[in-house]
Amino acid sequence: MEERRAYYGLLSRIFIAEMDGHTLAKIEKLPNFKELFPTYYSWEERQRRSRYKLINELLNVDYTDIAIMHLIPYESFYLREDGMIESGGANPVIQIYNDFGFRVDLDRARVVSGDHIGVELEFMEMLARATLEAREAGDEEAIGALLEQQKSFLQEHLLQFAPLYLINVAEQARTPFYKDSAKLALEFLLEDYEYLCEMVS
Amino acid sequence: MRFLESRRNFLKGSAAAIATVAVSKGVFSTIAQASSHEEGGFSNTPKSLSFYPPLEEWDDFKELDGNDWKRGGIDRKGVQSEENPDGIYVNEYVIVPTVCSNCEAGCGLTAWVDKKSLVVKKYMGNPLHTGSRGRNCAKGYGAWSQMYDPDRIPFPLRRAPGSKRGEGKWVRVTWDDAMKEIGAKIRELLEQGDEEAKKQFIYHVGRPNENGFGARLPHTLGFDGYDSHTNICSAGARQGSIQWANDDRNSPDWANAKLIFLQSSHAADAGHYFQQSAGLIADARKKGAKLVVIDPRLSNSAGMADLWLPLWPGTEAALYLWLANRILHEKGRNGEDLVDHDFVRNWVNWKKLMRNKEYLNFIKERGYIQNLPEDESYESFIQLLKELYAPYTTEFVVKECKIEGQEYKLEQLWEMFIDAGDRIATYLWRAGTIGHRGGWMNTRAGFLPLALRGALRGDVGGVSWHHWHKASVNGKWFKATLSNGKKPPKVTVWNEYPWPPEYPLSTYEMSFLLPHLLMDEEWKRKWRAKGFKIPSRLKVWVPRMYNPVWINPDGFRWIEALKREDLIELSFNLSPTWSETNWYCDYVLPTGLAGERHDQQSEPTKPEKWVAFRQPALRVALEKMGWKPKDPTRATLEAHMKAGLGEIWEEIEFWANLMVHYVDPDGKLGVKQYWASKEDPSRAITIPEFYQAAFSLLPNLKKAAEAAYPNSKYPCYEFMRDRGAFTEETNIYKPQEREVAFDGEHYIVHGHKYPKDEVIIDEDGVLWVEHHGRRKSIGVKIGDKIYQGFHTPDKRLDFFVDWLVEYRWPEYAIPIYPRNAKERQEMVHLVTQVHHDYMQGANEFALNTIYRLPYMIHTRSVNSKHLMEISVNHNPIWIHTSDAKRLGIKRGDKIRVKIVDTLSGLESGYFVAMAVPTEATRPGVLACSHHAGRWKLKNAVEIPGFQHRLGVLGLGAPLYKMSMDGKIGKMRAKEGIDKGLKKRPETWQFKDINKDLEHIWWDGLTGTWQNAVAPVHPDPIAGNHAWHHKVIIEKAKPTDRFGDVYVNYENNFKIYQAWRDKLTRPLTADLKYRRPMHMPRPAVPLSEEAYRNPMYKGEA
Repeated sequence: MEERRAYYGLLSRIFIAEMDGHTLAKIEKLPNFKELFPTYYSWEERQRRSRYKLINELLNVDYTDIAIMHLIPYESFYLREDGMIESGGANPVIQIYNDFGFRVDLDRARVVSGDHIGVELEFMEMLARATLEAREAGDEEAIGALLEQQKSFLQEHLLQFAPLYLINVAEQARTPFYKDSAKLALEFLLEDYEYLCEMVS
Repeated sequence: MRFLESRRNFLKGSAAAIATVAVSKGVFSTIAQASSHEEGGFSNTPKSLSFYPPLEEWDDFKELDGNDWKRGGIDRKGVQSEENPDGIYVNEYVIVPTVCSNCEAGCGLTAWVDKKSLVVKKYMGNPLHTGSRGRNCAKGYGAWSQMYDPDRIPFPLRRAPGSKRGEGKWVRVTWDDAMKEIGAKIRELLEQGDEEAKKQFIYHVGRPNENGFGARLPHTLGFDGYDSHTNICSAGARQGSIQWANDDRNSPDWANAKLIFLQSSHAADAGHYFQQSAGLIADARKKGAKLVVIDPRLSNSAGMADLWLPLWPGTEAALYLWLANRILHEKGRNGEDLVDHDFVRNWVNWKKLMRNKEYLNFIKERGYIQNLPEDESYESFIQLLKELYAPYTTEFVVKECKIEGQEYKLEQLWEMFIDAGDRIATYLWRAGTIGHRGGWMNTRAGFLPLALRGALRGDVGGVSWHHWHKASVNGKWFKATLSNGKKPPKVTVWNEYPWPPEYPLSTYEMSFLLPHLLMDEEWKRKWRAKGFKIPSRLKVWVPRMYNPVWINPDGFRWIEALKREDLIELSFNLSPTWSETNWYCDYVLPTGLAGERHDQQSEPTKPEKWVAFRQPALRVALEKMGWKPKDPTRATLEAHMKAGLGEIWEEIEFWANLMVHYVDPDGKLGVKQYWASKEDPSRAITIPEFYQAAFSLLPNLKKAAEAAYPNSKYPCYEFMRDRGAFTEETNIYKPQEREVAFDGEHYIVHGHKYPKDEVIIDEDGVLWVEHHGRRKSIGVKIGDKIYQGFHTPDKRLDFFVDWLVEYRWPEYAIPIYPRNAKERQEMVHLVTQVHHDYMQGANEFALNTIYRLPYMIHTRSVNSKHLMEISVNHNPIWIHTSDAKRLGIKRGDKIRVKIVDTLSGLESGYFVAMAVPTEATRPGVLACSHHAGRWKLKNAVEIPGFQHRLGVLGLGAPLYKMSMDGKIGKMRAKEGIDKGLKKRPETWQFKDINKDLEHIWWDGLTGTWQNAVAPVHPDPIAGNHAWHHKVIIEKAKPTDRFGDVYVNYENNFKIYQAWRDKLTRPLTADLKYRRPMHMPRPAVPLSEEAYRNPMYKGEA
């Protein structure tokens, strides 16, 4: 389904880097913008400042807080006992990317490891896109395998840490934008997991 | 859960409109939906990443070329072949393990030899080396650009006939030409054969990086002829270790410590075992260990430490005795004693002190204590310590170490020290211990609080001693020679040039005084009159990868001596690179660097015994590819010529051929037997024979090798040739508590059986035997067990050192430090020459000279373009911002730094350097590393018959003009490195590798040869040069340039005499031996006869 791919793409973008005017404009023009970002929609600061100032004075400051300075959006940070980020080849997520023939361009992503939530969400987006292509090609076997892989990646990786991280973001973020984004992401991931379980079974 | 309450049906309802936003960032650079592409065994996405292939692939490893790989991987280009010329190039390597030689740590390297071109393409680490664990610092990787130095000396050079030393006229000769002349000179000495002849050969070794060969070389000749560089390096630290444990240095277990206690940044920054220690220290910190750095300079380590204590340099002993005082007097959280009584009672030699009433009276008279102990009990000993160290109060330390305003740091240190229990790891080394007169008391006092806390037990996370963590076999090859396992007998003479009678207790040879002693006729006359047979000159002086002209103090004195053919008849430097010293030698014989020579090396970097094997990578690769040398005793030389590196040889093959064919060809002089092969006595020993004999002495290695190479003639050699490293033993903790074996009739120690009837156990439980006519201790009984113990004669750690009393230094036989100005006068031997007492004027400072640059510590790496690019021969003067402001000095200002001796009051001259105001040195203390300031007097030399001129130090040294008249020496820079090198591109060797030289940007003109101005400061007890100086600074004159040097080396000679004559307590006629017999001379083994003091008139 195209929507799944698009949700993963949008959420990946929100959590992988600071917001930019172009993307924010696209989000605000979504027909269901109000439904997805209800608090942000009615936030008075949004009306009071230009988009440029909103991003630079509030949103990006908040992003720095929830993704760089105070919260750690990496799977290994949440799963390892010592709280270290595994940035080398021993990271099982990187191993999975390798198995699929994917490689994370860390410089472009500006992350220290491929198990960053934004990267993992984009990985899901790619798997979802591959499913679409398989569907267009009528390759039932590939569809089945890809859905199985998405379910397993969600179950074994994203859902192992993203809910904790997103709850932290929802609690700690100082702007409605990131509070809404965190809730949206959490709810979407849980629903998508249910969907995948149904499909695979 | 409230997040679940508002769940919306994203995938079913209106939310579907999201599909219009396709905004993900796109961070996956390669997307392959099928399985990854594979071609010729290569894939774009390896299953796992590893720096090193498995050992089985080392002889034939294929790797895609790194440059080509950037073009997009094999998916886009495929692998290069005849059909696909645009594909990615495949390197075919032989991976040869070797060992780095750019500091003392001996980290493993692998040389990646390209089979097609016979060029080493890169140096990496060796994953089989358990010390370095596959890692290296910049200096390790720099081995590659050293190897392909554009100015590499390509063949043996001899001073041109008719020219004088230092004129810079050279001719090309063969190795055999050189060996003929050198061999004849050595033979003359052997044929002369008297006492003086045995003192006229000196092999002078820079950083050895091998375990035993160098010392053995003069030994096989029967000469007392070895000079190490150690007394300008680390001998101060070693003196304190020898006093405590009769062991050369301590060996910490960094990785398991709770407190990393560093005096100077050395272990973690750049110095002893730097890369390995730093990794282990990082491991410990990851587990929560604290790091304390005591250093006047904010080094890299201090910058990341939990606590930086910038004490006044040279006063550290006061701090250590303050720690001892608190440990003795305070209680732990639960009211317990902080002293580890179990350890101190059993393993410290307190009984010897408590029995010695004469000595106790002596220290009472000196005022160290007010009352004599009540009895000889342990409790009274502790009471004595309490009284002895009570004066080292916080107030005293704050004042003595000049840390006013930082008292809170002492409290932090105390907490960290006590919290760590007995898991305190330290390596007391370098700056504090070699910078100062009495610097040795730093280790002496520094180990006291560790002993009191039990950290010297050598248990997990604590401190042990070096030789238990090291395996040395590089001097043990005789099983493969004609002598059939027999070692040469002990040398029967004592050479006064390395070991003058003024310095009987010197830790190592007084090698930095060699030119002074050679030129000091009065000194020679004085001791000859007392019966010492001091030769008037040396016949042969052999620096080995050593450059004393530049790195020793008083460089102009060295030049004066080296120019004198009446003092040094023949000199040759076994040197891979040009150096300032080479310039004044008769021969420069190019021996190999890290990947171009054989050595066995093992270092105490952790509580285990690893052994590593340095090898000539091109030779090993060629042999693995089927090549065979014409002469197996010269295989390394032939391989280097075959591969186009030049006539580069290695020492083992050189010396073996020299001895067998030129020194003692018919064997009549008794030398050939130690160098000729047992297999074929007509020729020298080969490398496989040599190392089979040496490595087979390590039982675990031998077992592993014989299992791995069951059909080999030289299994131990081949095992190490292929692996480069082996770990003989791990987890070596509390080694002194190993028990002495007893079979009912004999005590068995190190393979010797001592019948129980011949063993005497003294009142302290020490087991004594007669061994080769001398009394020797073999163990110690504690409780009902007999342990091997430490290496002191009493088998314990020596708080009280009786041989210091015997050799007339009783006031320093226990850890002590002067407590007031009066005592600083009386105990001047322990007071640094840069003590704050001596700083009176506003522009007077202590100059801290001897911190290492992590990337440039040796003369031999000067022509590595990679290392030089990050060091650029720049050694500015660090000055605290408050001092700079006070004196009106700004960043980049030229300043004159005048060196003044605080003992004689004489001035040595000055150098001109760049000031850099910074908060990273403490007020009152300047810093300027002496590891820069290289120079040369010619940019290139003409070698008749060579295809082009031969460049000199093109990457590392600017061109200088020098003048000297026997009294005053001057230097001034003429041309920078960049200009000099670029004007002679036709001289660049290894052109393919050195194409980038046209981009060289550094001129090196802000480096100053400060060592030239420095007078020698021989410590009266440890013998080391005390490196730091009192300096007076002023703004430079308008005509001054960076790098200017003005030296009154006539004054420097007087300073040498002042330190010698005002401070030492030379041998006297009542001493039987020139040095305590239990303290072996560190290199050449000497007989009892050699130890005899010629003035002694007692019984024969």
